[in-house]
Amino acid sequence: MSQKHSTISRFGGFGLGLRRTHYDDFLDGDVPVDFVEVISENYMIEGGRQLRILEQVREKLPVIIHGVSMSIGSAGGLDTDYLAKLKQLERRIDPLWVSDHLCWTRTSAHNSHDLLPMPLTEEALQAVCANIDQAQNALGRAMLFENPSSYLTFPEDELTEWEFLTEMTRRTGCYLLLDINNIYVSAANHGFSAQDYLAGLPLERVRQIHLAGHDPATPERAIIIDTHDRKVADGVWDLYAKAVGMLPGPVATMIERDDHIPPLPELLAELDRARGIASEAREPVPA
Amino acid sequence: MSASETTTLAERQAAFMRAILDDALPLPLGWGNSQAAGMAVYRGNYRSALMDALADTFERTKAYVGEQAFSQASAHHAIANPPASWTIDEAGAGFDATCAELFGDNPEVAEIAWLEWAMLDLATAPDSEPLDPAGFGARTAQFGDEDWMGLRLEFQPRAMSRIVHHDLTALWTVLGDENEPRPDPSLPEPQGCLVWREGERPTFILVEPGNAHAFAAMQGGASYGDVIALLAGDAPDDQAVQNAAMRAGGYLGQWLQEGIVTGLKA
Repeated sequence: MSQKHSTISRFGGFGLGLRRTHYDDFLDGDVPVDFVEVISENYMIEGGRQLRILEQVREKLPVIIHGVSMSIGSAGGLDTDYLAKLKQLERRIDPLWVSDHLCWTRTSAHNSHDLLPMPLTEEALQAVCANIDQAQNALGRAMLFENPSSYLTFPEDELTEWEFLTEMTRRTGCYLLLDINNIYVSAANHGFSAQDYLAGLPLERVRQIHLAGHDPATPERAIIIDTHDRKVADGVWDLYAKAVGMLPGPVATMIERDDHIPPLPELLAELDRARGIASEAREPVPA
Repeated sequence: MSASETTTLAERQAAFMRAILDDALPLPLGWGNSQAAGMAVYRGNYRSALMDALADTFERTKAYVGEQAFSQASAHHAIANPPASWTIDEAGAGFDATCAELFGDNPEVAEIAWLEWAMLDLATAPDSEPLDPAGFGARTAQFGDEDWMGLRLEFQPRAMSRIVHHDLTALWTVLGDENEPRPDPSLPEPQGCLVWREGERPTFILVEPGNAHAFAAMQGGASYGDVIALLAGDAPDDQAVQNAAMRAGGYLGQWLQEGIVTGLKA
């Protein structure tokens, strides 16, 4: 049974992922960002330097905690030890919000440490919604869930991904973290229209956007791979501009880089580009 | 597996996971080329994530054995020990045993891997306040013989000890700098290795084997008196007991000095 949780207020800032390479930049100076996002699992620990650094950064900036291992789509339910540690981190950091992905990562026996695709069926939707209820009740707050990038679809699919996400937010009261690169990647991999995807979503539930780079298809490999290891592609920037223009209000935007992490100025330049696009897209059209 | 065998979400997920873990398994019935191409990406992601995690954790082991040998060892470990924990850091659990199996002619490899794992584990251990020698002195000032013999200590969470046969101090230093010449790794005699955290920084020292045995015993709940008996050996005479008491006192002083002791057990 879904409990009602407090509304997540809009926050229209621009931020970056807090990565080890940039710890000193964030500790020593004033990095021109409005928030940082951290991978939850890296800080669901008992002590040590990493946790201390996060607490110090939190004194300067709002923090979002973004998970990769909740496995909200697991048929076997959630890991209660995981939830307890996430809650501990949430209490310690008091984040803007807590997010994870629409995916599954584990069975009762093994963990893939990858964001595996959900069959888009009513059975899967029921399992996801039950797990979201459990997670939101455990945390005592509504969460955001991110649309995944995926490399296959299932013959048994009954819904589009946007229909699945729409129904998921309606049944659980959760919010959406819209990963524009993931829409771009999955649209290309599965042959749907990114525009239809955006138009089919409950955009009033979006509170954050992720922008990231991907590995394009090659003559040997028709699949685009979501890699987070390079600059945001032009096609993704175009889709970002469309998405921001369609959103009913400001949302947080983040550049997400997890591999081949460049010096901070390079990421800040990409963030400036996002600021410019968002500002242009939200300007009222002259009469 | 057939479509009729994989009808529930749980069964589909179990089949998907099996297909990721084992390249040789046939794909589910009804899957075509597009699903096969997608599964190839997921299989690749799974292996590269684990191998990258092992390479991050075991940087010095990798530097010692070389890129190719490490890559083979990490692939072997990932296949033999598919992870179950939600944290990918746990993928490195038991990698020292994998190294012992694969690098049997170079047993120092397993010791380097053990040390790297211990250091990683300590980096995220709960914070604790050391009991310094002055504080210890104040807490034990009124102790009589019986109190001393019953003394039990609390140590830093996850501090570790073991017996090693190779000069991990020298190896650790040179493997952090690729320009340093490699030392002869063997020790003339086995030594103990204590691993703990100095503030936020994991560290280690090589010590007498008796020190490591005493530490392990007290960490496991033995009393100071038990440790003296352990060090004195079987059927000791008075001199042996006296020597053992002096050694135990020396070890205790070192643990206090290094900040590994956090309190006295009630």
